Amino acid sequence: MGAFFTDPILLATVLGTNLPFLSMVAILIFTRSNPKLSCRISVGAIAFAAVCAVFLLAKLYSASPLQYQTLWLNSGRLNIAFGYYLDPLSLLMLTIVGVVSCLVQIYSLGYMAGDPGYSRYFAFQSLFAWAMMNMVIAGSMLQLFIFWEMVGLASYFLIGFYYEKWSASQAGKKAFVMNRVGDVGFFLGLIWLVIGFGNLGIPELNHAASTQGLPQNLLTVSALLIFCGVVGKSAQFPLLTWLPDAMEGPTPVSALLHSATMVAAGVYMFSRIFPFFAASPDAMAIALAIGTVTMLLSSTMAMVTYDLKQVWAYSTVSQLGMMVMALAAGGYFAGVYHLTTHAGFKALLFLCSGIFIHEFHTNDMRIIGKQGGRKLKIPMVCIAVGALALSGVYPFSGFFSKEAILGVLAAQPNKIWLAAGFFGAVLTAYYSFRLIFHILLPKGGVEGKPHDGHAESAHEHEDEHHGYIFWAMAIPVMILACVSLVLGFLEQPIEHFLLHAVQAHPVQHVSEHGGGGSDWLLIMGVSAGLFGIAVAWFEYGRKGASRNGFLSYFPAIWKLFDCRWFIDIFYRKSLDTFVYGGLTSLFTKNDRRVIDGGIDGICFFTEGSGRVFSFLQSGMLQYNLLIMVLAAGAAVLYFLI
Amino acid sequence: MNSLSTYLIISALLFSLGLLGILQRRNLIGMLIAVELLLNSANLNFMAFNRFLTPDPVVGQVIALFVMGLAAAEAAIGLSIILALYRKMHSINIERAQRLKG
Amino acid sequence: METSSLDIITHAAFWGTVALTIAGASIAVFPRNILYNVLGLALALTGIAGFYLFLGSFFIALMQLLIYVGAICIAIVFAIMLSRPLHLETPPRAVPKVAMGLAASAIFFVAAVSVALKTDWSPSPARVADGSLWSVENIGHALLTRYELVFEVISLVLLVAIIGAVITAGFSRRLS
Repeated sequence: MGAFFTDPILLATVLGTNLPFLSMVAILIFTRSNPKLSCRISVGAIAFAAVCAVFLLAKLYSASPLQYQTLWLNSGRLNIAFGYYLDPLSLLMLTIVGVVSCLVQIYSLGYMAGDPGYSRYFAFQSLFAWAMMNMVIAGSMLQLFIFWEMVGLASYFLIGFYYEKWSASQAGKKAFVMNRVGDVGFFLGLIWLVIGFGNLGIPELNHAASTQGLPQNLLTVSALLIFCGVVGKSAQFPLLTWLPDAMEGPTPVSALLHSATMVAAGVYMFSRIFPFFAASPDAMAIALAIGTVTMLLSSTMAMVTYDLKQVWAYSTVSQLGMMVMALAAGGYFAGVYHLTTHAGFKALLFLCSGIFIHEFHTNDMRIIGKQGGRKLKIPMVCIAVGALALSGVYPFSGFFSKEAILGVLAAQPNKIWLAAGFFGAVLTAYYSFRLIFHILLPKGGVEGKPHDGHAESAHEHEDEHHGYIFWAMAIPVMILACVSLVLGFLEQPIEHFLLHAVQAHPVQHVSEHGGGGSDWLLIMGVSAGLFGIAVAWFEYGRKGASRNGFLSYFPAIWKLFDCRWFIDIFYRKSLDTFVYGGLTSLFTKNDRRVIDGGIDGICFFTEGSGRVFSFLQSGMLQYNLLIMVLAAGAAVLYFLI
Repeated sequence: MNSLSTYLIISALLFSLGLLGILQRRNLIGMLIAVELLLNSANLNFMAFNRFLTPDPVVGQVIALFVMGLAAAEAAIGLSIILALYRKMHSINIERAQRLKG
Repeated sequence: METSSLDIITHAAFWGTVALTIAGASIAVFPRNILYNVLGLALALTGIAGFYLFLGSFFIALMQLLIYVGAICIAIVFAIMLSRPLHLETPPRAVPKVAMGLAASAIFFVAAVSVALKTDWSPSPARVADGSLWSVENIGHALLTRYELVFEVISLVLLVAIIGAVITAGFSRRLS
């Protein structure tokens, strides 16, 4: 314990990651009724945590991975330790989580102002920050799993934040249950691993996997099962429908949890034990397939929806699919880099949308456009920046990460994945700019808000816009926009940082920037993005465009995309048939007929037998004597014979 | 005649008849009569054992006297109980006395 | 020959007594009329007195006649006098009850007879063939010296019985 206070790294780690927990406890127990104090505690804690994360990143920039651990469970071959594992990946992710959480909490100061559940919101934000940070630096898979679940819990609380609304609480439940379904597979994978390998420590796992220390079938089965956790948490096919529904939560929550950090936890976990996954080609192949399907499916769903947040939600699912594709194709750096840049511009997109929603009190992009969305300069510019980054346009960060991914996919023997990647890029650009053009260039021009008079409303908005709410929401957005611009140029330093420690365990990562084919790839990538933007312009942007979208000419396909490819309906039907119709009715019948019936039967039996035996008390003397004599005679005969 | 088992069988028969009377008769006094039969069969048993088995024949006779005295006492009390019961129930039918029926 | 004729007379008398007793017992148990029952009882008790004669005790036979037939049967007749005759109100007999009673007494009879026949009755070795032991004097002597307690206890019992009978009959008289 002495090392705790003398070692600045350990101190920074422990304090930084656990301070949000203390803030949550303090808010929930003490300052629930004092919103101002609660938000100050929470923002202070997360700011400190972000500073610690940056400090750690700076300190350990060129050091080898650091591991602190204490042995928790030791039984024969089984060794489970708890502790921290600080390698470049976890430090990078810690920084991302810390900084983005800090920015989002500052943003929430403005967005959630006046909400009755203000303190509760900040308490749960702190809970999330604590859980996520601890998950990131977890040293063993079990610890990671525990905090994985806590993150899911925080997500449940925050999605169902407006709990009086039926759809919100249902969405929270759906998110939690779907995550749980994935986590069953995850836990089974961990158990399989414990049985086969005996140690759940992450560096140990990676080392053993890469040095051929594990049998192949153990690897494949447990990798597939652990991948179920990724499917659940990162909303891959088939468990992807909870993420669009999770938009019921407040927009900052969507920005933080369901775009940048929590759903990226699945991808993060994948990359954490990347050597382990990479040692099993079958699991990687399946992951690649699932990632591709997810990416394409959700892109199509994003093309038909008019809800602002839903577009970005589907986009998140799609980009997560792309990250999984990259990792599954062997591109460790590509996947992680895309995770980083995606965190930046997706949070930006959500926060800007949040400003629009907060202003116009509607999620519908058409109404926002009509009522003068483009008049809000800062969010409009920043959302355009974000969309350009998402579509992979130079010089924004998305361009660089998308190129990296396409490079990895090009190295695959089967070119179908690359084609899917290109197609996905086209769709991504299309739906993002569909949204931008709806707000920027609405049909029939801007009409303004119908319910206020123009003069007073302009006046009010002037006042409001220059209050703290305005700056609280504007500053994080601007910071993230700058990040989206700059991050692309930091590709080389980040790659060097991530991979210098990877030399310790030889990972078959593909060199993403070598070879003559990269020029062709570059051109194809850029043109894919520009093609998508052009189609969107053609349909929505230019004057006199019909704004119906080419899909409206195929109503059947529109319906298919709109109904989320009937996945939800399928789930609902199977749930109704199997779970409610089958299991619950079985259990209800068992409860009523067997258990209650059994107890009732005992009562009836007791009562009935009592009634039967009461006939013995006839009150007639001679019957008593009769029984006596019979008994005596029988006894005598028995002893005689 | 001069064997113990004859007397034992006779007394067993008398006892069975007395038992039958107790179990089957509805008249209280009839039951009492049957009880007297029972007592007498026991007495006969004692006298028979006295005649054939005991060393000192006085003992059996003293016992027989004792039993007779007790039978008398019991008959007296039984009859007075029957009288009391009759005054209460206004009948000497035992099947009417079912206040203890549960 | 005389011994044989005496034997024949003795045997005939014995079996006659047996028949009398059984007949009396049957009359005491089976008929419905209570007076028949009492008279049957008297007959059976007389038969048993005859048995006591055959078993060698003249005194006990006389006592039997005196106490049972003379006192108890008369007391029963008095009780019959004081109560309402049952045959005016008898409902029909319950057949199961009769059947069960028959079965019970039959079982008991079988049990008792089997015990009696199966046991090996051996006379006590200290038996002496002394005729003077059977005299009344002997009984009186024994009652007052060796079996004094019996004598006193029976007196006490009779006293208590008398008092009890009087009280029981007396209380209920005040109630009705």
